Amino acid sequence: MTSRYAVLPCNGLDKSVGCITREIALGLVEKSETDLICPVMFRVSDARYTKIAADKPLLVLDGCATRCASKLAAEKGLKVAKKITVTEEAKNRKVAVGKSLKLGDSDLRLAEAVVEELLKEEKPKESPAGQDFSTIVYDYETYKKDKFIFRVPRSGFYFNENDCWVIVSGNRARVGVADFVQQSLSDIMFFTPPAVGAEIEQFGELGSIESGKAVFEVISPVSGVVTAVNDELISAPELLNENPYEKGWIAELELTDFDEDKELLLDFEGYFKVLKRKVDEFHVK
Amino acid sequence: MSDEVKIGVVSCSGEDCLGGAISRLATLKMLNEIRPDETVTICLPLFLAGGEEERGFAQSFPTLAVDGCNKLCAKRATEKYSGKVSDAFDVSDLIGKETAASKPLSTRYLTQEHQEMVNKVAKEIRIRFEDILMDYYKNAAQRIKASGKTPNCGCNCGK
Amino acid sequence: MSSMSNKVKVIPCSGMGKVQGLVARETALKVISELCPNDAETVCLAYLVTGDDEAKDKIEGASCLTLDGCAKLCAAKNVELAGGILKKKFRVVDIFREHKGVKPGSATMLTEEGWQLVDELAEKVKKNVVELVREV
Repeated sequence: MTSRYAVLPCNGLDKSVGCITREIALGLVEKSETDLICPVMFRVSDARYTKIAADKPLLVLDGCATRCASKLAAEKGLKVAKKITVTEEAKNRKVAVGKSLKLGDSDLRLAEAVVEELLKEEKPKESPAGQDFSTIVYDYETYKKDKFIFRVPRSGFYFNENDCWVIVSGNRARVGVADFVQQSLSDIMFFTPPAVGAEIEQFGELGSIESGKAVFEVISPVSGVVTAVNDELISAPELLNENPYEKGWIAELELTDFDEDKELLLDFEGYFKVLKRKVDEFHVK
Repeated sequence: MSDEVKIGVVSCSGEDCLGGAISRLATLKMLNEIRPDETVTICLPLFLAGGEEERGFAQSFPTLAVDGCNKLCAKRATEKYSGKVSDAFDVSDLIGKETAASKPLSTRYLTQEHQEMVNKVAKEIRIRFEDILMDYYKNAAQRIKASGKTPNCGCNCGK
Repeated sequence: MSSMSNKVKVIPCSGMGKVQGLVARETALKVISELCPNDAETVCLAYLVTGDDEAKDKIEGASCLTLDGCAKLCAAKNVELAGGILKKKFRVVDIFREHKGVKPGSATMLTEEGWQLVDELAEKVKKNVVELVREV
C-alpha cells in the first residue's frame, strides 16, 4: 500500500516553514512512490512535469499563507487533489514552528507527523477492500423465532447451505457468514483469517470463527484468490455478532469463475427457506 | 400441544442478597432443566441497554416475574419497560424474609441447603408456569370458539 | 439522605444465560467481599433499571468499574444512564480470549478453569480499585 502523489512544494527558502515543506516533500518521496515537482523548474519549463502532474493525484505543499505553490498550480491549470499549508498544520497540532532556517527537532517531528498522516490517509483509497462494495444497499427480511430475530439480505447476496454468503462486484467477491451462524455461536471471541493470496476452491475453507460454544469453519461459497481479509475482526470479533453482513465481512476474493459457482448457490428465496427450516429445528439458547 | 408457546420467566438481578441469587438459580433451572423448550428469559438491564426487540419481551411472551426480595425489581422493571406480567412472586415468601435478605451468595459456596432452596423455588416457578400455560390455552380456545371457526381436533365436537 | 460512600462501585452485568455473565458476577463478588472489602462495593443493576433513588444516589458522580459478559454492555450502559463516572469497562470476553480453549463452565456453575478466570479478572479489577482509591 503506497502513496502515488505528485507533490508540488513551495520554495520558501527564506522561511523555516518553507524548509519544513521541503522536508515533508522529501519524506513522502522517501516513503512512497511520490514524484517530486521542482517548483522553480516547473515555472520555467513545465514539459518535464506535466505528465506526472496529470498521471498522479497532485498534492500541493505551501509553507505559509502566501501559498506560492497553490498559485503556481493554478497558473498551470493543474487539478489539485490535496493542499497542505504548514502554518495551519502547526496550528492544528499546537506546535510552535522554529525561527531558524536550520530545522530543529520539533520542526522535523512536525514534518514527520504530516508525512505519516498523508500516507495513512492514502491507504484506504489504495486498498481494494471496501472499494467495490461501497454502494451496497442493505435491505433485510427477518424471521422471528422466540426472542431471536434472524436477518437475511433480500438482494445481491448468494448463500451456500453452510450459511456463508457472497456478494459480487465485477470480478471481486466479499464473503461472510449469515445471521444464523452468529446467533448460533453466541459471543464470537476468535477469528482465524485465511491467508491473503491463498487459492480457495468453492466450498473450501476460508478461515474460522470461534465462540465459547463451538468453532465454525467458514466454507467459501466461491472459488478464487484471497485479496483481503477484514483485519478488524481479529481485535474485535464481536463485529461478526453486531452485523455479520456489513461490518462483520470476512474476506474478499478475486473470482475464478462465478458463473459456474453460482449454479451451486442459493439466492435469497432459496436461502430463506433453508434458514427457516434450520431455525425451527434448532433450539437456540 | 403446540411447541410454539413459550413462557417468559424473568428473574431479578440478584446481586444484593441471597434471595436474588436463589431466584436466578431457580430461573436457570427452569430454563435449562425443567421446561427448556418452553421457557425464555431476558436479563433485566437489557430493557434499558437493548432495543425495541428486548423491550417487546413481555408483549411477545406471557411472563412470570421472580423476585428475590420485596423490592420486586423483576416485576416492576418488566411492567415499566415491557408490559404487564402474567404472574409474579417474591422468593422471600418461600424461604423466609431473613434468609432471603442475608448476604449475596457466590456459587463457589453453594451448599446442599442452598440447593434445596433453589429446588423449592423452582417448583413454585413450575407450578405458576403451568397455570400461565393453562390460562393461555384456555384463552386461545375461547378465542377460537368466539370466532366461530372449527377447532383443529378433527371431530367437529365444538369443544 | 443520600449514601455518601467513597467506595469504588464495582458493578457486574446481570447476565443470565451465559457463563460470561456468571464470571462477571463472581468476579465482582470476589472483589467486594474478599479483595477490597473496605474500598469497593457493588450496586445491583436491577435497582438502576427500576430507578431506585438510593441506588441512583450511590452511583451518581461515583467512580464506577463495570464488568460485562457480552457486547450488549448492560452494566456500562446502565451505569452511564444513572450518572455514574465510568472509569473502566471490563469485558469478560477479553479474558476468555486470553485463554483460548479454556472450558469455563455454564451459566449456573463454573469449572476449576472458570474460577481461575474469575481470580485473574478479580486481580485486574482490584488494581483499578486501588488506583482509584489513591486518586481520591
